[in-house]
Amino acid sequence: MELSGVRKTFGTIEVLHGIDLQITKGSHAVIFGPSGSGKSTVLRCMNLLEEPDVGSIKFLGNEYGPGSGRKEDGKRGKSIDLRRKVGMVFQQFNLFPHLSAIDNLALPYRSIRGGSVQEAQERAAHELNKVGLLKFAANYPSQLSGGQQQRVAIARALSLDPELMLFDEPTSALDPELVGEVLAVMRELAESGMTMVVVTHEMNFAREIGNLNVFMEAGNIVATGGSDFFENCTNQRAQEFIGSVL
Amino acid sequence: MFREEEGVAPINFMWHLVWDFKWDLFKGLLTAVNVSIAALILSMVIGMIFALARMSRFKVFSIFATVYVNIFRGIPALVSVIWVYFGWSLLFGHNFTVYQAGVIALTLLYSSFFCEIFRSALQAIHKGQREAGMALGLTRGRIFRSIMLPQATKIAIPNIGSMYIGMIKDTSTFAIIGMVEVVRVTQNLNSTYFQPFVLYTAAAGLYVVIAFLVDFIFRNVELNFSYPPQGRIAKFLSRKKKKRVEGLMKST
Repeated sequence: MELSGVRKTFGTIEVLHGIDLQITKGSHAVIFGPSGSGKSTVLRCMNLLEEPDVGSIKFLGNEYGPGSGRKEDGKRGKSIDLRRKVGMVFQQFNLFPHLSAIDNLALPYRSIRGGSVQEAQERAAHELNKVGLLKFAANYPSQLSGGQQQRVAIARALSLDPELMLFDEPTSALDPELVGEVLAVMRELAESGMTMVVVTHEMNFAREIGNLNVFMEAGNIVATGGSDFFENCTNQRAQEFIGSVL
Repeated sequence: MFREEEGVAPINFMWHLVWDFKWDLFKGLLTAVNVSIAALILSMVIGMIFALARMSRFKVFSIFATVYVNIFRGIPALVSVIWVYFGWSLLFGHNFTVYQAGVIALTLLYSSFFCEIFRSALQAIHKGQREAGMALGLTRGRIFRSIMLPQATKIAIPNIGSMYIGMIKDTSTFAIIGMVEVVRVTQNLNSTYFQPFVLYTAAAGLYVVIAFLVDFIFRNVELNFSYPPQGRIAKFLSRKKKKRVEGLMKST
């Protein structure tokens, strides 16, 4: 995935001042930075939950977003096609409260892939098993802990075979003791080679899995680096931030 | 019956009238229920369409729905039914039957209330629900049908119950166009027996009984719509589903 010149304005305030970012297949990008720096907005532009005002999102050979606004931009992809290849996990889980855990997975799966309810539920059960929640398949979200809900949400996104997974502060709404189980699932996913972009405040986790670290501040990417970013970062502002949170 | 020297008519309550004419009153009640249920179904459908129109990105739709709601919320049922029954016939030369006029009059009014009930219910759903649907790549129609509508319905159920009680009560005004509902039956009996206190108390009692019944039914509906479903009907309907999930849990 490649973002080029992505700008986004809310009302009169420009929150992203032209973001360029390249995420190669198999990489684990971690975006961090102070509140209001535009981390989540960048992430939400990656599946067009926020439509950029200017800029392009290239993904698997297709171009999405408004581009430069000129004619030579050519054909733009439809956002629904992008979203079907990109999974997203939210801070607030956003499970469907009126559906059991298994139906939270089976309903979107069947709606997009077609097939029988039985097939969709078999796939759903398989994915729930992978996050260790098969025995809670019939439970409703209100009967699950925060950590369990988030694991169902991850399973839901994975059941649609995404090429890229986006995580928007997946552990920020959790009790401290439940953070571990969610991070464990994400760690496993990273080890399996899934391409991931994670917005997080869990700096230790970021240090562990991140092989593309992105520090943002005030709508700009201030510094980027590989897995050694936390040790060998040259940017002073990024160093200060890392020093204050680690 | 009169004793002149006291100058006051002694009170003689003929409560037996209520029993004697129970079937007439009951038929009147059935008519009221019949008209109001037809109007309930129609106004829920139309109300939902108006709710969507009111929230639409297209100004034309939202302005139309807003104007409609604000006009028809303000019209009393009595005026509405007179207009539909007599006014329509005068203007367009087409006569509605009493039943049709009642249903149309109620639907005109209550679709505006249901528009507001459904709009507030849809807006009460956390925006993350829609976003989750979008992020999964679901179509707009699918998000509405499978995510927004079921949740909005649950939120709206108590309000739908209150509205329906209001609708039943508003059928009382249809006596004026000659619909033989509870109040019309009461009026007819009263003109023969001149027992307004007894007869209208009986009529009031019937409306209250219906109100209790509606409350009981809607509380049950709400229970069946809760997550996880708690009512007997929902449990009965989902028993097959549960078995299949249990089978999957063993086989996976």
